[in-house]
Amino acid sequence: MTWADIKKKGRWLAYMATEAYNVPYRGAVARAKREQDDLFMLLIFCEMMGVPNPATYYTLELQPIMLEKFHEWHKRAGMEHSPLDDFRCC
Amino acid sequence: MDRLFDRRIVFVGGKGGVGKTTTAGALALMAAESGRRTLIVSTDPAHSLGDVFDTRIGNEETSLVPNLSGLEIDPEAEAERHIAAVKMSMKSLVAPKMYREVDRQLDLARHAPGTMEAALLERMADLMAEAKQRFDLLIFDTAPSGHTIRLLSLPEILGAWSDGMLGHRDRSRKLGDLLKVFGRDHSREDEFGMIGGSKEEPDDSRDGRIRDILLTRRRKFHRARELLTDPAVTAFLLVINAERLPILESKKTLALLRQFNIPVTGMIVNRLLPPEADGEFLRERRLQEDEYRAEIDETFAELPRVYLHLLPHDVHGVETLREIGKAIVAQLGDDS
Repeated sequence: MTWADIKKKGRWLAYMATEAYNVPYRGAVARAKREQDDLFMLLIFCEMMGVPNPATYYTLELQPIMLEKFHEWHKRAGMEHSPLDDFRCC
Repeated sequence: MDRLFDRRIVFVGGKGGVGKTTTAGALALMAAESGRRTLIVSTDPAHSLGDVFDTRIGNEETSLVPNLSGLEIDPEAEAERHIAAVKMSMKSLVAPKMYREVDRQLDLARHAPGTMEAALLERMADLMAEAKQRFDLLIFDTAPSGHTIRLLSLPEILGAWSDGMLGHRDRSRKLGDLLKVFGRDHSREDEFGMIGGSKEEPDDSRDGRIRDILLTRRRKFHRARELLTDPAVTAFLLVINAERLPILESKKTLALLRQFNIPVTGMIVNRLLPPEADGEFLRERRLQEDEYRAEIDETFAELPRVYLHLLPHDVHGVETLREIGKAIVAQLGDDS
């Protein structure tokens, strides 16, 4: 075993240890962020789902930016196509 | 009601048909003739400002007399412009075959409740913010009470809304930062041939754009709210007639304006029967009017009041407006 191999082994161990620690947190944090983002999107599109919104005029200008996220969301929610009649992204 | 014209923004409001436009027009004329560069803006979708000045005013600032310009905001045209901009940016993001969908959806949005109000408010907020450079005084001839209250309360509601939205974005961003700490180490994954999912990067540019839009909105709403609630900048005048319904409605309006901290600085009691009018019929009407007048004096005791008499002819044209304006200014005791 050369010195380089030992160093690589060391890096591998360190990486594995870090991952073992990180992985559960990573999942939890990613989930929390996704939930936060989904809520935000719901607020942007809420008028279309029949929830009155005092700021529809202003959520309108955010919709184009959220278009892609909306697509990801309904896929994740198990819907092949957009659930909103008035808003079809695919 | 000291030094009304030293304010930068004057709102004239009240129940439908009490003479708001005439009063606003007369005040605007007085302000202009005292040398203040004045803009009078009608926010009532059923405009009558042009009729009072006996000329045509539209969605563009129109010069009426020296120092005085008029504007009748067309909320439909404003909404149209806003929606066209959203359409453009949406079309840059979706496939061309979706264009019809985009058009359809946004055309529906134009008719959504609140769209016109928001468009109107947007234009008013812009005027309040930028008119300072071109005008000394901005006079808003408002729509009947309910509409105006809703409009004036919008900056508060929308300010809270944009605060809330920004809060959501901040929480999401913090979680995103945390995710980077716990994130996958792509260089190690490559080195050790780890099989991972796609290497998606957090979309900072999208977050940035959303934040920018929300921040711009919030700044605008907060600014409008600041101006509206500053008694050194804004004055709200209530116009009323000595009749039952206008009194009842003005009571409610006053309470709501107070609730939203909008400085109500005075009341104009319009269309009183002139003392020289005679006859049995008018004598009886005057008896009734005296009752209502007493009620007004009692109910609105804390508001400075100006009393105007009914004129023998309709109000149109600058001459009549000047007559009314002079009567108001004389009672204001304003040296303006």
